[in-house]
Amino acid sequence: MSGIATGAGVLRLEEEPPDEQIHGSTRERDNATERRTERAAQTLANPALGLAKISLTFGGVAALRDVDLEVAQGEIRAVIGPNGAGKSSLLNIVSGLYRPTRGQVQFGEHSFDQVPTARLAAHGVARTFQNLALFKGLSVLDNVQMGLAHRMRAGFLRQIMGAPLARRIEEENRTAAKEVIGFLHLDDVHDRFAGTLPYGVQKRVELARALVARPKLLLLDEPFAGVTFAEKQELSQHVRNARDSLGATIVLIEHDIGVVMGLSDRVAVLDYGRKIADGTPDQVRADPAVIDAYLGVAHEDATELAV
Amino acid sequence: MFDYQFLIEVLIGGLLSGVMYSLVAIGFVLIYKTSGVLNFAQGAMLLFAALTFVSLVERGTPFAAALAATLAIMIVLGIAVERTVLRPLVNQPPITLFMATLGLSYVIEGAAQLLWGTQVHGLDIGISDTPFDVAGVLISRLDLFAAAVAGGLVALFALFFRYTRTGLSFRAVADDQFAALAVGLRLPRVWGAVWAVAGIVALVGGLSWGARLGVQFSLSLVVLKALPVLVLGGFDSIAGAIVGGLLVGAIEKLAEVYVGPFFGGGIEVWAAYVVALGFLLIRPSGLFGQKLVERV
Amino acid sequence: MALLASTKTNRPTAETLWIGIGIVVAYGVVPLAGSDYLLDAVLTPFLVLALAAVGLNVLTGYAGQVSLGSAAFLAVGAYAAYNLHLRVPGLPLLVDVVLAGGIAAAIGIVFGLPSLRLRGFYLAVSTLAAQFFVQWALTKFGWFSNDNPSGVIDAPVLRIGSVSFATAAERYVFSLTIVVVLTLLTLRLLRSQSGRNFIAVRDHEIAAKVIGVPLLRTKLLAFGISSFLIGVAGVLWAFAYLRTVEPAGFNLDRSFQILFIIIIGGLASLRGSFIGAAFIVVFPLLLSRIGAAVLGRVFDSGVLEMSQHIVIGALIIVFLIAEPRGLIALWDRAWSALRPARRPAIPT
Repeated sequence: MSGIATGAGVLRLEEEPPDEQIHGSTRERDNATERRTERAAQTLANPALGLAKISLTFGGVAALRDVDLEVAQGEIRAVIGPNGAGKSSLLNIVSGLYRPTRGQVQFGEHSFDQVPTARLAAHGVARTFQNLALFKGLSVLDNVQMGLAHRMRAGFLRQIMGAPLARRIEEENRTAAKEVIGFLHLDDVHDRFAGTLPYGVQKRVELARALVARPKLLLLDEPFAGVTFAEKQELSQHVRNARDSLGATIVLIEHDIGVVMGLSDRVAVLDYGRKIADGTPDQVRADPAVIDAYLGVAHEDATELAV
Repeated sequence: MFDYQFLIEVLIGGLLSGVMYSLVAIGFVLIYKTSGVLNFAQGAMLLFAALTFVSLVERGTPFAAALAATLAIMIVLGIAVERTVLRPLVNQPPITLFMATLGLSYVIEGAAQLLWGTQVHGLDIGISDTPFDVAGVLISRLDLFAAAVAGGLVALFALFFRYTRTGLSFRAVADDQFAALAVGLRLPRVWGAVWAVAGIVALVGGLSWGARLGVQFSLSLVVLKALPVLVLGGFDSIAGAIVGGLLVGAIEKLAEVYVGPFFGGGIEVWAAYVVALGFLLIRPSGLFGQKLVERV
Repeated sequence: MALLASTKTNRPTAETLWIGIGIVVAYGVVPLAGSDYLLDAVLTPFLVLALAAVGLNVLTGYAGQVSLGSAAFLAVGAYAAYNLHLRVPGLPLLVDVVLAGGIAAAIGIVFGLPSLRLRGFYLAVSTLAAQFFVQWALTKFGWFSNDNPSGVIDAPVLRIGSVSFATAAERYVFSLTIVVVLTLLTLRLLRSQSGRNFIAVRDHEIAAKVIGVPLLRTKLLAFGISSFLIGVAGVLWAFAYLRTVEPAGFNLDRSFQILFIIIIGGLASLRGSFIGAAFIVVFPLLLSRIGAAVLGRVFDSGVLEMSQHIVIGALIIVFLIAEPRGLIALWDRAWSALRPARRPAIPT
């Protein structure tokens, strides 16, 4: 890790190669359009995330039915769908909070019936939550540093006594947290209690907490819900940066179809627990099944979707 | 030779005292179901009711008048508690509400004893405590009476919930607060009514327990007996409160008689807790409680 | 002090200064100037209850796990130290104290195990099991009290090497030292990653789990540390304060008293634990003086106890409604109002 981030941390970080070597990451930085087509055609042997035939039932009610999803390394992948389509359930399965009734989840070469949530961070996966899940009683800096909690290998006695190992890890984590805070322009509020900040800022803090561990796979649960237009712009820039400069593969769940179209490489659409479409934003936008799902059956004016 | 008749006697004794636990537990469930508050002060309310009634009778008030007056006082107390303590704490985390009722129990206990004194009162509700004999098994009349009262109370609640407007609104609120709010139910009014009903339940429980133990401070400790009942039965189920009460009653007595001697006795105080705890680990929402899926 | 000075925090050094002044006054002035009554009936119980409250605050205020069984761990500490002293002759007193805390911690961890599956008042109810079980065991098994028929134990004279702590002032100094050292260590723990993990588990357990906070270890650590501190407080309660204790003294009311200290003083605040303890100790004394002055003979001990219950209970409710952060929040507000110039500008 080079240099201590200050206000200029953003620039530094963008030039820095990602912690984890994502294969082909330099090549993939070329042209956005080209990349999209390329990815859509790709079927990778080792996807960043793979879901195979995922089904989930809650007491007889099917929330998800045979959902397959493949996410390529380094792509921004959106999963959209109306309320109750099963998007959040999907993300909760990926993060191990739910156990799918059937199906498997794959990270890289690891495959799971139920993802072990406690080992999620160790597998390089981070997520945010639809309804903010910050630690209200901690400062912004501490919240962000919490994203590295799993790196503290020194026991509590060594932490109390300030043993060299504990202090070194503490220093490293604090430095990393400060860097990400600079990256997301949160310096001004770093010592405020997270619970006292405006909603949009809290969303950014949550993103920072997820990014601080430099995840290989970042799951975003409705990152744009409830934020202003300007904040949406800013947030999508941050999401793009997270991929471009930190090398994260990103899966984002969204209710609002508009925002994600410009941001994502590929989009999957869920409706009533089934995947009804999957492809580039353009393909999905033109898909009649998607238009039905969003606007009711057989709507003539498809242009409304082309936001 | 194992003494089955003795076993049955112990079991029946346990089940009957279990009914008494249920009487207390029902008061908890009513409030928990409709407002999500675990009312630790239920025991104090029970003490307050019994103490008020006994003191009125001792001061020469006729039985019926004392009963009516206590009833009125308990209803007012219930509503006042809802107004002054719970309403300002709406939307607070459940554990905050719980701690508030802990404070409330101190207030009510203190007030009851400050008003009526701390001495022990006998309470005679006209039932002799001599056991009678059913096929060689001894059964306490008082326990049987309490069981009948509890049964009647539950039947009354069942009718009330099914056939009255207030009962219906209780159920609606318990089912879905937001939906109830959306169809125009006034939540504070419903909550006030629930607390009033809890006051009435406290009176019934207070008289039954008072007749058994005498009316004194330790009455408020029956709340501690009701907690494992709730854990077993689930905090939000009246059926659970009954079944849980019976179970706890039976477990306590059986444990005391058959397991207790190995430990020098007195395990009644914690046996129910240990069983409830073990049970919780297997089924965290109790026998009849709603299983909650964690939403994130 | 080296410990505190090396903590890397962004708190102003003024705090360290105040702690320093406090320590000087507590050691240099109080033992000389205070009467035996003040030391014995006010200051020592204040210190012991404050330590117990610090312990409960770690568990309930910081880690968010409500416990109604604190008195059980006070009792475990007291009886463990008594038995260690009795049955392992030659063990230095401080080792006794630490081991007794360790035994309380071990029992605390056992009763904390359900916390992995239980939340909120389900957990609170389960901690009652500890309360009743411990009290029962100490009464029932004569071994714990060296076969005293009612479980009463008499504390030995406190002695470290050739120094004994027998007088009120000496016992006060002994308690003060242990309380200060343990509080400072607790402060350091709370400002470490483990301390942040506590708050994370309290504020959002699922998010904490997703991030990779080891839930079971964090919760059990909270139970262990908390019970350790309360256990040591129990040793002081028995050895330095009352010197004769019985299991009945560690009843549910004692547990509630400690809980009330942290609610009134301030949840998740170590300073709050001290203010709350001071309040709980001083308030009954004040109430009895005032009551006697105003009402005269009517205000007997029964009336005192009941009105104490009423006022404490009412205060709990009032604080929960009006100032959930407790006395310490009032204190801080009053403090910053007194010197408005130093108040930091609110960042945007």
